Amino acid sequence: MLRRFILAFIFALSATGLPALAQEKPELTIYTYDAFAAEWGPAGSLKTGFEAFCDCVLTFVSADSSIGALRRAQIEGKNTKADIILGLDTASIGMARATGLFVPHAVDTSALAVPTNWSSGDFVPFDYGYLAFVYNKEKLAHPPGSFEDLIAGDLKIILQDPRSSTPGLSLVLWIKTLYGDKAGDIWSDLASNIVTVTPDWSTAYALFLKNEADLVLSYTTSPAYHAIAEGDHRFAAAEFASGHYMQIEVAGILKSSPHQNLANTFLTYLISPQAQQFIPHANWTYPVAILESGTPEGFGKLIQPDPVLILPEEIVTKNNRAWIEEMLSAIR
Amino acid sequence: MQSANTPRFWTGTAVSSAIVLLIATLFYLIWRQKGTLVEHPLDVAHLLRMSALQAGLTTFLSLLVGAALAWALNRIHFPGRALLVGLLSAALVTPGIVVAIGLISIWGRAGWLNSALSVLGLQTGSIFGLQGILYAHVILNATFAAAVLLAHLDALPANRLKLGQNLRFSAWRRFQTLDWPVLRSTLPGLGAIIFLLAFTSFPIVLTLGGGPANQTFEIAIYTAIRIDFDLRTAVFLALVQLSICTFLIIPASVFALSPPGSGITKTIIWRDPQMARIIQKAIIIVSTIGLGAPLVSVLLDGLSVGPLLSTPQFWQALGTSLIIGLGSALTTIFLSTVISMASISTRKKFFRTLIVIPSYIYLAVPGVTLSLGFFLGARTLGILPERAAPIVLVIANALLALPFALAILVPIFNASTQRYGRLCTSLCLSNWARFRWVEWPMMGREIGLVFAMGFCFSLGDLSIIALFGTETFSTLPWLMYRALGAYRTHDAAALAAILLLVSTLSFQILPRVIERMSRAGT
Repeated sequence: MLRRFILAFIFALSATGLPALAQEKPELTIYTYDAFAAEWGPAGSLKTGFEAFCDCVLTFVSADSSIGALRRAQIEGKNTKADIILGLDTASIGMARATGLFVPHAVDTSALAVPTNWSSGDFVPFDYGYLAFVYNKEKLAHPPGSFEDLIAGDLKIILQDPRSSTPGLSLVLWIKTLYGDKAGDIWSDLASNIVTVTPDWSTAYALFLKNEADLVLSYTTSPAYHAIAEGDHRFAAAEFASGHYMQIEVAGILKSSPHQNLANTFLTYLISPQAQQFIPHANWTYPVAILESGTPEGFGKLIQPDPVLILPEEIVTKNNRAWIEEMLSAIR
Repeated sequence: MQSANTPRFWTGTAVSSAIVLLIATLFYLIWRQKGTLVEHPLDVAHLLRMSALQAGLTTFLSLLVGAALAWALNRIHFPGRALLVGLLSAALVTPGIVVAIGLISIWGRAGWLNSALSVLGLQTGSIFGLQGILYAHVILNATFAAAVLLAHLDALPANRLKLGQNLRFSAWRRFQTLDWPVLRSTLPGLGAIIFLLAFTSFPIVLTLGGGPANQTFEIAIYTAIRIDFDLRTAVFLALVQLSICTFLIIPASVFALSPPGSGITKTIIWRDPQMARIIQKAIIIVSTIGLGAPLVSVLLDGLSVGPLLSTPQFWQALGTSLIIGLGSALTTIFLSTVISMASISTRKKFFRTLIVIPSYIYLAVPGVTLSLGFFLGARTLGILPERAAPIVLVIANALLALPFALAILVPIFNASTQRYGRLCTSLCLSNWARFRWVEWPMMGREIGLVFAMGFCFSLGDLSIIALFGTETFSTLPWLMYRALGAYRTHDAAALAAILLLVSTLSFQILPRVIERMSRAGT
């Protein structure tokens, strides 16, 4: 009896799934990371904006991360519903290219306002940000201006594991760009500063907000969130004179998509000022287009990294595993 | 094998085989994907040493603290005792990240304790490192052990207690003669579970470990799947973990089946001598503060619920969580009852072990592998992930709760068989009648505990949902994790508090309700 009840229960559950609506209009499906698709992310505004003229239905499907979205499409193979993968970044783009799932886009990216000559080939950049160590101004009067300062000041930091977290991997690239063969030494020196290395950004940031460290690895735009969304002006990013590593987020069209034209139309819309205005205060990153309203509110007060650091994609793809190992063995 | 119990034996064997088949299928589904075995920079020997040391210490400490607390709580009755047990039980099913953050609220450099000590110019040592991992694991596991052991101690038959009281047993003699046999029958099963949990622990080990020195299999598997998309290496690593764990748990999973109580409780006032009572009170106070404070801090952090409750997402997630929890709880009861019945229907230790082992194996399979396997399975069957998600969550979490349920049910089924087995056989009771009229009335409380466990495990799941959760299909922990990933720390804290609160109330209320139900018909 119990068994029958359970079976009936399971069937009842499966029947409550999404009703399959018959859709006359073509449906463009985008796989992306959760924070982008969430109700507080930019997806909702983009959907409204695009559907106003595309005569289509735009659907965002979220995965736990952009790599998760990529792997999901990869597992689904030719039958994937996804037309576009959105949210891959400079650290993960090589993995995406290696899958051979993407086609070149037909979007004119010449007007993009990205402060680097980094080129992404098949992928369209749609926002960017810089890695930085974020601190609380009330607790830390003299923020470090370099990795050497950080080490010398014996400041406590919380990092993310490069094997499971994008900013964690980008820090490995940041230090490698600045120090080359000496990167291992910097990591060894940093070891005593590290409070802990968390599996993801969320945990690291939560621990930092609990004041478990002086600084946390995050983005230069993090203070803007606190200032604008919470009216909390205590946070700032430490400016490093030697420069900050950049993360550019991109979107790519899948070969298997039956909606190639529509996909290109969306990407063109995505980098237009109309769509880009939703990026800064929903995704907390920099827009790639110059907005009519000028600098987004709150972003003018942020540090402006100079120089901007970024490594070519091929070099990252070729070396990242070795560099991660170098980092792990240096701080172990 | 008793002939009357042959159907029970075979039903349980069938269910256990189905579990093995399911796990094998999940592995096969991943294995048949593309991927080549690549050289992995994984120091298996180092990893084994680290994990075994950590898991061994966790198990020892958790059982010690759990048994002491159960002993003390069994003797000392006070208002709020049930609520305390509920709160402590809820720790186990709370997402690891919540426990880690709660622990840091107390013991962190800016935590309550250090804030208080700083007035005196003092400071505690760092919580990060092996000590932090062990502490968090003890919070999770000792509390669970205490809840289970207490349930058994509270169920000691009144006549035995009376006899002991008339013989004027000393506190030590009482423990040795009456309590210890009950505890001993449960400890090996509990120990095996705790060891596995600690061995496969992932977010806590990384977050509180203080650095990547505390390498885990799980992160190696994670790397293989996410970064390299090398699924065969992932399967290989998962199998290594599985083999090690299976090897370790086989000896422990053979329950030493001495008879616990009859389950028929009658309040007997038998106070231990003054000295023992002082020790017991001290144990309760220290444990409550040590284990409970981090959880209380989670509740206090979440007080500013505010706007969250007015969002439809919250109510949807709550509804989904409750429905899936209910489904998991019923599945857990079904599976654990069938397997417990089967395992005690045979006298041969070999078969007994064989029937119980698959339930443990599931705990030894890395979560990331399981959810990927389920995802591929849904795809192979042509079911959309969002459609498959509820069923997968129900099944996966029921299987996760299964070993815990067995640790609770096997001893009590065994006791029932020892007391009434022959009687049932001679009365020619059908298996159903035997369950309905003999077993169910005497184990309502235990089944209630299993129900609460299955319910809450599913409520706190953060590993399966990670692959199946979307913006439209969300559970409370997933909503919490999403909020945490988007700077929404206050929402996340409120959700963590709500999760903990629901779990606490479940552990307090469900066993009582079901115990009452079980007695109603007799």
